[in-house]
Amino acid sequence: MVLVQAIIDGILVGTTYALIGIGFTLIFGVMHKLNLAFAAASIAGAFASLVAWQHFKDLPVPLVFLISAAAAGVLGYLIYLTCFRFIPLKSPLATLMATVGMLIFLEEIVTHVSDGKAQNYPGMLPDARWTLGPLDIRVDYILVFAISVAAMLLLLALLYRTRLGIATRAVAQQPVAAQLCGISLDRTNAATFVMSGVLGGLAGAMIGSSAELLSNLLPLQLTVKGLIVTVIGGLGSIPGAIVAGLLVGAVEKGVETWSVLARDLCVMLLIFVFLVAKPAGIFGKLNVRD
Amino acid sequence: MLELKGLSKHFGGVRAVDGLDFAVKKGEIVGLIGPNGSGKSTTVNLICGVFPVTSGTIAFGAHDITKAPPHQCLSLGIARTFQNIRLFNELTVWQNLWVAQNSAKHRKERGFLGRWAGGRGQARRSVERYLEFSALAAKRDELAGNLSFGEQRRLELARALAAEPDLLLLDEPAAGMNSEEVGQLADRIRSLKGQGKTVVLVEHVMELVMGVTERIAVLNFGRKIAEGTPAEIQANQAVREAYLGTGAKI
Repeated sequence: MVLVQAIIDGILVGTTYALIGIGFTLIFGVMHKLNLAFAAASIAGAFASLVAWQHFKDLPVPLVFLISAAAAGVLGYLIYLTCFRFIPLKSPLATLMATVGMLIFLEEIVTHVSDGKAQNYPGMLPDARWTLGPLDIRVDYILVFAISVAAMLLLLALLYRTRLGIATRAVAQQPVAAQLCGISLDRTNAATFVMSGVLGGLAGAMIGSSAELLSNLLPLQLTVKGLIVTVIGGLGSIPGAIVAGLLVGAVEKGVETWSVLARDLCVMLLIFVFLVAKPAGIFGKLNVRD
Repeated sequence: MLELKGLSKHFGGVRAVDGLDFAVKKGEIVGLIGPNGSGKSTTVNLICGVFPVTSGTIAFGAHDITKAPPHQCLSLGIARTFQNIRLFNELTVWQNLWVAQNSAKHRKERGFLGRWAGGRGQARRSVERYLEFSALAAKRDELAGNLSFGEQRRLELARALAAEPDLLLLDEPAAGMNSEEVGQLADRIRSLKGQGKTVVLVEHVMELVMGVTERIAVLNFGRKIAEGTPAEIQANQAVREAYLGTGAKI
């Protein structure tokens, strides 16, 4: 029963990993480029909200979350400007290295803001519990799940129902034709970075909030987790990122009941298994010559 | 309406287009023909800003569009189709047309919110019009990637028209079509003239070019070797030699 409880917790919190995975995959889907600074920007957004929370005492938690999302959205746009907009897109490594630089830069800023140690972060209803037979579920985990699912549904509605979303998908499928349909690549790409940044900032805030602690080590940890989720889900696949996020969350919490030290090891084993058995990811399409 | 002056495009040492002078008047249907590799498609790509120009100028109406990026050309009123079909395969037929309605003209008419959030009313009516025009109304919710080849060609034309352009560049719209489909395409192109559109038709299918155009320019090795009415071009010795080699007799 302890294991079932852990796996349920893992799935609930795994939605934050899913949001991070979606951010990576969304940018890859539209630009066919990895933005390695994405997860670090998400945590930097959370730290921006932390600074606001420390400065103005007693900010309501929803407002703290919104500040995090907005700050990460702005960071997303800045990353687009500095690492993509003026960098030659034809050389595959140029933008990748630029985002590595940005990752290190953001990590350094986080280290300074946090004084190199984990900081208290406001929690959502930290003591509320919901007892369901033998299960004892934390209410803030349920809130994390609900907020994440709402954010995902909002993103899907944006991508599939609005003109901006359809233009974004048009750019992902046929960039030249999309331009000749009057769609500006520059603006669409920038919008994608802002959208994914907002999702990431929300995820970063919820990760901090569910632990009531914002760790200065998160930028790198979350970059690795986010990339694992993206690869397991299949690069460019949003449903894949969602399923993989829940899977990684469940495996993490499940293994934690056995050994905390083995947790990250098992996640790494998981990606090893996927790379060997299903290298394109859960929903990814592998380019196979026939 | 469209004026190319001394237009050149060099790819390394290859002069794909070399000092081309060419003008199109409003309401004309003009053909651009020539053997493979003569620079026709490159010319289209230069006009709509896909490739940067090496030298020369392109004017559209009162605007110098030599350096205009591709997405601006549509706003000014230039739309095109592609030789190798480039539809948004994972959008529906309807969405392919809807997303193309993105020109400055549309924006001014609808304002920011109407453009991004809505797309109702007029936009939807004009999508319906081009669905009918291309005989695709029954397939509106089909994904573009699942259409047959002929339907995809029709959708490309409809998508270009959905932007309500003044000038339409058609890059080999009849490639791979059977003669019945070519006949239907010819009817559609002729009816565009009635709607006040200007058309530049790049094509190898002579049946279509000779049937619908009023004036033809012939390119060879990036240069214009002849220009005139379809009858004049058919009688032109230089054109025959370009297609068939020197000394050929028909």
